[in-house]
Amino acid sequence: MSRQASISFFSLRRILIVAQSTVTQLVRMKVFYFLAPIALLFVGIQFLDLIWYQGAETLQPEQELRMHKNICLGTMMVFSSMFGIVATALLIPGDIEDRTLYTILCKPVPRFDYLVGKLLGVMAVIFIAMVVMDVLLVATLHFRTEEKLAEATQVWGKRGLTEVEIAAGRAEIAAHGPTLILQYGVMAHFLKASVIAAVALLISTFSTSTIFTIATSSMIWIIGSFQSVAREALFTDPISGGDPNMAERIMNTFVSLVFPDFKLFESITDGAVRAENVLHSDMTQLGGLAAIYVGIYVVLSWFVFSDKEF
Amino acid sequence: MNDVPAVEVKNLVKDFKGAFRVKNVRAVKDVSLQIAPGEVYGLIGPNGSGKSTTMKAVLGLVAPTSGATSIFGRNSLKVDSRNEVGFLPENPYFYKHLTAAETVRFYGKLCGMRGRKLKERIGELLELVGLQDARDRRLRGFSKGMLQRIGLAQAMVQDPRLLVLDEPTAGVDPTGSRQIRDLILELKNRGITVFLCSHLLEQVQQVCDRVGIIHQGVLVNEGRLDELISVENRTEIILENASENLLDQIRSLVDVTHQAEVVSEGNARTTLEDLFLRETMSDAKRKAVSK
Repeated sequence: MSRQASISFFSLRRILIVAQSTVTQLVRMKVFYFLAPIALLFVGIQFLDLIWYQGAETLQPEQELRMHKNICLGTMMVFSSMFGIVATALLIPGDIEDRTLYTILCKPVPRFDYLVGKLLGVMAVIFIAMVVMDVLLVATLHFRTEEKLAEATQVWGKRGLTEVEIAAGRAEIAAHGPTLILQYGVMAHFLKASVIAAVALLISTFSTSTIFTIATSSMIWIIGSFQSVAREALFTDPISGGDPNMAERIMNTFVSLVFPDFKLFESITDGAVRAENVLHSDMTQLGGLAAIYVGIYVVLSWFVFSDKEF
Repeated sequence: MNDVPAVEVKNLVKDFKGAFRVKNVRAVKDVSLQIAPGEVYGLIGPNGSGKSTTMKAVLGLVAPTSGATSIFGRNSLKVDSRNEVGFLPENPYFYKHLTAAETVRFYGKLCGMRGRKLKERIGELLELVGLQDARDRRLRGFSKGMLQRIGLAQAMVQDPRLLVLDEPTAGVDPTGSRQIRDLILELKNRGITVFLCSHLLEQVQQVCDRVGIIHQGVLVNEGRLDELISVENRTEIILENASENLLDQIRSLVDVTHQAEVVSEGNARTTLEDLFLRETMSDAKRKAVSK
């Protein structure tokens, strides 16, 4: 009996099957072992007393907490971004080299589903790793904040500060603890890593080697991190400081489309480190921007991959 | 009666870009062939003759430069055509982190199977390819022959009407090779169409109904195997327990007629494969293999 039902271009179920298989693959490649040294680092900095505060006349606990967050979020950023690049760069060329891809594409699986499934799998593993690191960050930061609050309250009491002054000081320190804004910072890193993974996906569709994919994606990551500064320097009239002309504007748009602007993501994380007020709407916009970037890179990847011959 | 061929290749031409994209290399030159449903078709030829390219075109892994390929009437480049096909590539490497059962489950799910039906199918296929004892072992530790057999299991998971096998016995020992050969014959009995490429001509001879010979991208000969390999002016008679007296009578009869001559005679020979199997396998296993 014939079973030639038509295959839909897009099937969430098929995508999830590929994504699930990618997660299993990465988990069994023991990628989560990398979390062990990160956990040690997070716990280790708990005991790091910054030397320049030792002889200070007044305690600056919020600066110490800021440093704690900075180190942890920086580690999370490096891990998630590098993981996004390396995992994505390894998976698709690996499937081609092993001819596993032949057997997958010879099943009724549209190439779009395969690509999106692979990317979702990598993103899911990054998400799980980020959740684990976030729990560690929140736990260590909580203990450190409580410790600093107790120390500061004691010192301020000895100095004869009023209760109102002490409460204000405590609130300032607590703002540097585990707050919702900190979660926004973690989320921004996840979104950034997802965009980087999508960039690596695009490159891996036409690259012939894993090294090339990793090197090029890393370069785009670096360019993306500094492109807003470079665009400002290159495309703003140095004399008048005024608006760029049409050609500059086109070039500006082109650069910002080709290279994702990671400074936008970092501004949220910087805000989280400095305990500044990050608006919910800012976060929503960043999520939307990340979705647009990922969408564009996935469509471009599919465009290249759909006609690729094996 | 279904008139739609299982595989149809019409005037297939495939060019690959040469170095620096200056000169194209023509891998397949105007190849046309048809495989009827239920037929076992062997495409043979030396390395680089265009076998794998033709096969990949049938599977939609490469797009024809000109011409067309279809599976049960559906354009090979369309995903729909893959509902009906299972593919075993040469020297397959599946996800090594998966177990045998997980591998078949993964491919089954990709074909839209699920639940009890899939569970039963996994057990059935692992038994069919003789891997039921290794169902929970990861593929990392599998031998080449075992990988080939799990490859066959994944190819058959959705019960396709067409199996495309690229060098199905490459790197497999004679025992495994015999098992795969027997499996192909069993599939043929079930009415499944098989399109295979192999260098092992003896095996092709044992399982194929029709054969195509491809050389330098051109299909130089094609037809029913028994017609292609028979020598028209020679006849073979194989006798069992023939006495010397009977043989003498036959020789005399041939001499008397003057219309034919005995070209050669001697003991009928077994194949080296049969000899190997006889020497290396226990009786029970041999019976199971040759069943």
